[in-house]
Amino acid sequence: MQGLIDVFVQGFGFSSGFGTFAAYFVLIHSLLGFITVYSMFAIWLERKVAAHIQLRLGPMETGGWHGWAQSPADALKLLMKEDIIPAGANRFLFMIAPAVVFCGVFAGFIVLPFAEGMSIIDLDIGLFYIIAIASIEVVGVIMAGWASNSKYSLFGAVREAAQVVSYELPSATALLPSVLIVGSLSMGDFNTYQAEHGWLVFANPFMPIAALIFFIASLAGCKRAPFDLPEAESELVSGFHTEYSGMRFSFFGLEEFVSMFLVSAISATVFFGGYTLPFDILSVGAAPDVTLFDWLSGSAGFAQVDLLGSLTHLGGPVVFIVKVFALIFVQMWLRWTLPRLRVDQVMVMGYKYLLPWALVCVVGTALIEGLGS
Amino acid sequence: MNDSEIHARLVANVEGVGELDTSAGDPCVGVSADAVVDALGFLRDDDECSMEMLHCVTAVDREKQVDVVYHVCSYARHHSLTLKVELPKPEGADEHWHPEVPTACGVYPAADWHEREQWDLLGVRFTGHPDMRRILLPEEWIGHPLRKDYVYPSEHGGIPLELDAVPLYEREGESVGQPAPTPREPGAPLNQPPSEPSKRPHAGGKAPAPEKGDS
Amino acid sequence: MEALEMYTVNARADVYTEELRLNLGPQHPSTHGVLRVELGMDGEIITAARCDIGYLHRCAEKIGENVSYLQFTPYTDRMDYLASMNNNLAWSLTVEKLMDLEVPERAQWLRMICVELNRIASHLIAFGTYGIDIGANTPFFYAFREREAIMGLLERPSGARMLYNYIQPGGVRRDIDENWVADVLAFCDEFEKRWAEYNTLLSGNAIFIKRTANIGILTKEMALAYGCTGPVLRGSGVRWDLRRDVPYLAPYDDVEFDIPVGEGTHGTLGDCWDRYWVRMREMMESIRIIRQGCAQLPDGEVMTKKQKGMYKTPMKPPVGAAYVRCENPRGELAFYAVSDGEASPIRLRTRAPSFCNLAVLDQLLPGCLLADGVAVIGSLDIVLGEVDR
Repeated sequence: MQGLIDVFVQGFGFSSGFGTFAAYFVLIHSLLGFITVYSMFAIWLERKVAAHIQLRLGPMETGGWHGWAQSPADALKLLMKEDIIPAGANRFLFMIAPAVVFCGVFAGFIVLPFAEGMSIIDLDIGLFYIIAIASIEVVGVIMAGWASNSKYSLFGAVREAAQVVSYELPSATALLPSVLIVGSLSMGDFNTYQAEHGWLVFANPFMPIAALIFFIASLAGCKRAPFDLPEAESELVSGFHTEYSGMRFSFFGLEEFVSMFLVSAISATVFFGGYTLPFDILSVGAAPDVTLFDWLSGSAGFAQVDLLGSLTHLGGPVVFIVKVFALIFVQMWLRWTLPRLRVDQVMVMGYKYLLPWALVCVVGTALIEGLGS
Repeated sequence: MNDSEIHARLVANVEGVGELDTSAGDPCVGVSADAVVDALGFLRDDDECSMEMLHCVTAVDREKQVDVVYHVCSYARHHSLTLKVELPKPEGADEHWHPEVPTACGVYPAADWHEREQWDLLGVRFTGHPDMRRILLPEEWIGHPLRKDYVYPSEHGGIPLELDAVPLYEREGESVGQPAPTPREPGAPLNQPPSEPSKRPHAGGKAPAPEKGDS
Repeated sequence: MEALEMYTVNARADVYTEELRLNLGPQHPSTHGVLRVELGMDGEIITAARCDIGYLHRCAEKIGENVSYLQFTPYTDRMDYLASMNNNLAWSLTVEKLMDLEVPERAQWLRMICVELNRIASHLIAFGTYGIDIGANTPFFYAFREREAIMGLLERPSGARMLYNYIQPGGVRRDIDENWVADVLAFCDEFEKRWAEYNTLLSGNAIFIKRTANIGILTKEMALAYGCTGPVLRGSGVRWDLRRDVPYLAPYDDVEFDIPVGEGTHGTLGDCWDRYWVRMREMMESIRIIRQGCAQLPDGEVMTKKQKGMYKTPMKPPVGAAYVRCENPRGELAFYAVSDGEASPIRLRTRAPSFCNLAVLDQLLPGCLLADGVAVIGSLDIVLGEVDR
């Protein structure tokens, strides 16, 4: 974020290179902190959602109010567990697989815009970058399945490879209509366009279909039910992470919730307006002309800072996270309602139904845009 | 059709079928070992009898003989029949004697698992069976437990099983506690026959009085 | 048949492949107990299957030769532990046939009501666990809500929630309390509403149908040849139910109920969905029977006089043998007891329905995908307690 770099360089007087480094250091670590806290919350939320759908209560004891401390307690327990690596496993691959999986997904977060100017870096090719870098996760899962030296893990890994790689096609294709309309791959541009022209999901008749296709394809990409064969509990014991325990196992759990956030965030940004409210009420999320960072870096006095604008600027992340959580809640809801599809049915759905319809959306949107202009 | 009518048809069409025994409990038809497969085949294929299902195959270890009992039933005709093959025990028959009956797998595939179970528990060998091996007990088990002369093993996987094998209270010169089990070699039999046979519990549920005196 | 045609093994000479030997069980979330199935697989397709049972063998038949006839009743509970009342009934009928005991009428009607309640409880587990096998984790909890109600109802006369030891040779152990019938009828009303919910949640779900229709097709000839009984046989279209065709309990003649059979509604006749749907409809038929049973329950004794001394001095039946078949939730359970005049039988054979139904698995699995294999095992609804005894 340019504002923070200015604070470090001009406000604190660091050199340009070091200031940039310090800014990114702070931002990435705070994002990492946010992600971990979010994951713990999301695990608790999943347990509560599951419980209430199943006529139960979920965590109630740990920490008092509805078991809010259950996730930190679980995290602490997993940290303290014995680190077991199966005797026949390929040690190196076994150890780095969870890291590869997590990093692949986490790397997509740096272009997510929480508000105007509030992404770690606003790449010109932001959307393309996210789709590309999230594919690294597949490599990690295959490493995990192979290195475990267990047939069940291998099954999970091979299913995962087939499923996730196949569903990247309809998933990316379903995002293309939005790109056509906005004319840019930058995530920030999606938000500014939708602030002016309304949510993209209502832009033309093909967009709701594209949004739905992206939602379904992203469920498959996250290995969530009904596409959770790679970790199908009732068939493969635990799929590709059967042999993992302790902290390594928790990495896979974290990765699942983090990728849920990522795909919901993409969905929210590309289709549902990102950090803006409908009809751009109050210009939520839009950056004011003079921000607090300008004051901190010394280029403006305190009286010139647009405080009201800063407040609505901070409303951006709130709106964004609310939208993301709404989509996450729908994902959780579906998991506990629907049975699981078989692997060949998953392939059929991806290639024979989702991909053709995504292409139809692309062509339809292209025609509408071309004829409209 | 009732039992005597089916029996009459069976006798008329298959050799080696004996009498219909109604003296004790359920009526059953005695059949010789050589004729049982033909009898079952006839019962299955005949229109009047039409016994589509082999319900159960049981072997019974009696004092002087081993019986193999077949229960067949018909869904189309709502009747059933019991066949019994009696295999007399020769003089000096011990745990190594295995009575033989031809397998019914060719007639009813259901016989497969039932016959394996009777081999496993009673040692009745069904000749011609495609897969005559134990089904409930581990492959390495010695002996056929449901036989009347079955001797309980003295140890299992290194753990002693005889009643007085482990002193439960201190006696002179001995200490309390279990001896450490010796690990079992892979492939070695799971159960060792004891050097001297231990007492069988009595029928009616009364356990034998524990032996007093030296172990 | 679409499933089988898609999965013929593609043998290309220039690609080196090996057969994968996968071990399903004995510890596995979906084998319904300690069952081991050795699978030979080509990728996801099962090419060969071999069942390995005996992990739950508890020597019940040997024990039966050493205890008295009455003392064996709790052991029958533990064979098919989900249908304890049914097992107790089959054993009691066998002993009554051997000893020529008369059972009072009230006891017979109580037996019928308890047995049908237990049938519903057993089918609820089949329904819930089948959902879990297919991936839907929620119907299980809903099924157990109803099962709690049934276990509470059956706890009142018998004293136990699951292994009842209630139906004994000569009658039933204890009479019911005065509000029991009213509570049973209230349960029936609740259950009918809930049954509709289950259908919405699972039976009509498109994914569930895709996963179970045309899978594990068991033809009528194969079912009869392999000795399959119960919903497995009825799912293949054979309208056979011992309660109607060879009535072993007199009250069944006085109540009206239908026998649901598979009709190939969503796929081929005899597939997994048909077996599942037979169980679902059987639950509703059991509700009908229970209602009629409660309405016609006569007064009287619940245990024959002859049995009252049986606790102290075991009765000795005459020399002979008895073979009695009963319709259990899983199929036909039969006990074969051979007596030589002593207090224990000299041979006690249990013909367990799950044992015979499972034998057909080695034929059904090849050609399926691994996920289908799990669906097939679930549709046979086995309980390892009675497979291994």
